[in-house]
Amino acid sequence: MPLRGAYEKYLNRFGWFCVAPSMVLFSVFMAYPILSSLYYVTRRWKGATNTFIGLGNFVRMARDSIFQDALVHNFTFMIIQVPIMIFLALVLAVLLNQGIRNLRGALRLAIFLPSVTSLVVVSVLFRVLLQTNGFLNNLMLSGHLISAPIGWLNNGFWAKVTIILALTWRWTGYNMVFFLVGLQSLDPQIFEAAEVDGASKVRQFFTITVPLLVPIILFSAVTSTSGTMQLIEEPNVLTFQGGPSNQTMTAALYIYRQAFFVNFDFGYATSMSYIVVIISGVLAFIQLRVLGGERAAK
Amino acid sequence: MTAPRWSFGRLLMWIVLLAAAVASVFPFYWMLNGTTLNPNDVLRGILEPGRDFLNNWKLATSTYNLPLFFMNSLVIALGTVIFGVVVNSMAAFGFEKYRSRARDRVFGILLLTLILPQIAVVIPMFKLFSALKLLNTRLAIALPSIMSVFIIFFLRQNFKLFPTEIMEAARVDGASELAIFVRIVSPSMRATFASAAIYLFIAQWNAYLWPLITILNDSIKTLPIAMASVMQAYTIQYGALMVIVCVSTLPVLVLFLAMQKQFVAGLLGSVK
Repeated sequence: MPLRGAYEKYLNRFGWFCVAPSMVLFSVFMAYPILSSLYYVTRRWKGATNTFIGLGNFVRMARDSIFQDALVHNFTFMIIQVPIMIFLALVLAVLLNQGIRNLRGALRLAIFLPSVTSLVVVSVLFRVLLQTNGFLNNLMLSGHLISAPIGWLNNGFWAKVTIILALTWRWTGYNMVFFLVGLQSLDPQIFEAAEVDGASKVRQFFTITVPLLVPIILFSAVTSTSGTMQLIEEPNVLTFQGGPSNQTMTAALYIYRQAFFVNFDFGYATSMSYIVVIISGVLAFIQLRVLGGERAAK
Repeated sequence: MTAPRWSFGRLLMWIVLLAAAVASVFPFYWMLNGTTLNPNDVLRGILEPGRDFLNNWKLATSTYNLPLFFMNSLVIALGTVIFGVVVNSMAAFGFEKYRSRARDRVFGILLLTLILPQIAVVIPMFKLFSALKLLNTRLAIALPSIMSVFIIFFLRQNFKLFPTEIMEAARVDGASELAIFVRIVSPSMRATFASAAIYLFIAQWNAYLWPLITILNDSIKTLPIAMASVMQAYTIQYGALMVIVCVSTLPVLVLFLAMQKQFVAGLLGSVK
């Protein structure tokens, strides 16, 4: 229906009326912080006063090995955990899609359950379960899988493994649900045809299922990547302030600690957060390009 | 094609699925059982129920102030949900059903912030709240999470499905635009609003970074912040800690079990 004159104006005004409250909130709590951060990155705080230092914060970052290590840790978690989790979630989704109906519902529910826990709860649970004299070590000792307890939280390598374990426990079922929905939208005839042609289940998985689910895998990869770039609960609570000795320090945790714990240098912290933003953006872009292939290029 | 009922492949499949299910559910059993154990047994991971539940509950409610933290979390989350559903659904409705070039552009800007890491916003926001003298208030925790670009996007996708012809018919009958939104469109969107409400509730209930920054003393602590500070204590009452862990997981678990469909719809909103 073509809208003309006064009536059109009325509808347009109502449109603005609808979006106005959220626009106010957006301006105050999103746009203003983003814009004012441009001021912070050029300043250095010392106590209550701050001075202009131009690009000094970025020079400082280039010499800050803890921050650089933190970024490396973020990448480590991302490169190791995201593929493991996506592969696991895919396999579980495919298996669930084949199972018997009733049991399938119950198993899906069970595997999704970790998604209802908060990241702090996950961190608390794993911190207690993985104490040196804790449950997992006792279980593995009594099963003769290990001969001495593992220092999950006291050793840099194992602390990283701990975080990867916790992340995988928390997010596999969550991602699996996306894949299940994707699988159910696929035409079963494709698989029947493959079956007739004598393709094994494993072959079907890699040559049919995975390629057809690429858009959803891509979605999972992008959200999980941006999630690992923002890790903070796990290193702060699970491995305690990025410990042992900064071995699980992540960029977000380091930024938080620089701003609110150690130096109260809001300028330096904001500048580091710019790096995290840029890296997250670039990674999302690369993933969309590489995995999305022609679809994204179009 | 008749596949054999039981083959090695099928057996392997059930083993993998069962292992995943057990690994997923076990920590829930363990934390529930932990509420009945003394601290030492929680650590060792005793799997039989103990007799310390009442003791742990008392410790959690008195020493660890659980009722206060629970109420803080509840009030803040419910406030966020109520205002969030109203504000975001209005915005989604405006963007979708009253399209204009200017508003489409505004929406595009909103979407750009969708992948912005929270850590990049919280520092200037802290300075803002400190200038407004609003730090360390429940309001400060709730305010920034009321508007959610993701929820506006999700609701907008669903408003797309509402036939514009029905709105036209109502206009012909003389209904005002506000009446159309409140009395005609909204009632048919109940399930969608429920998904949005669940999403907002859980996001706020579980929120960590921003509450951690704004909360400066015990009186307004939310459950995640309280749990995190319990973990920093020199001696930890593990049994009482398990009570807090259970209490903070239970509402979300109940929401999920009672409204699985809307819960998952909220999750999937972004893939649609």
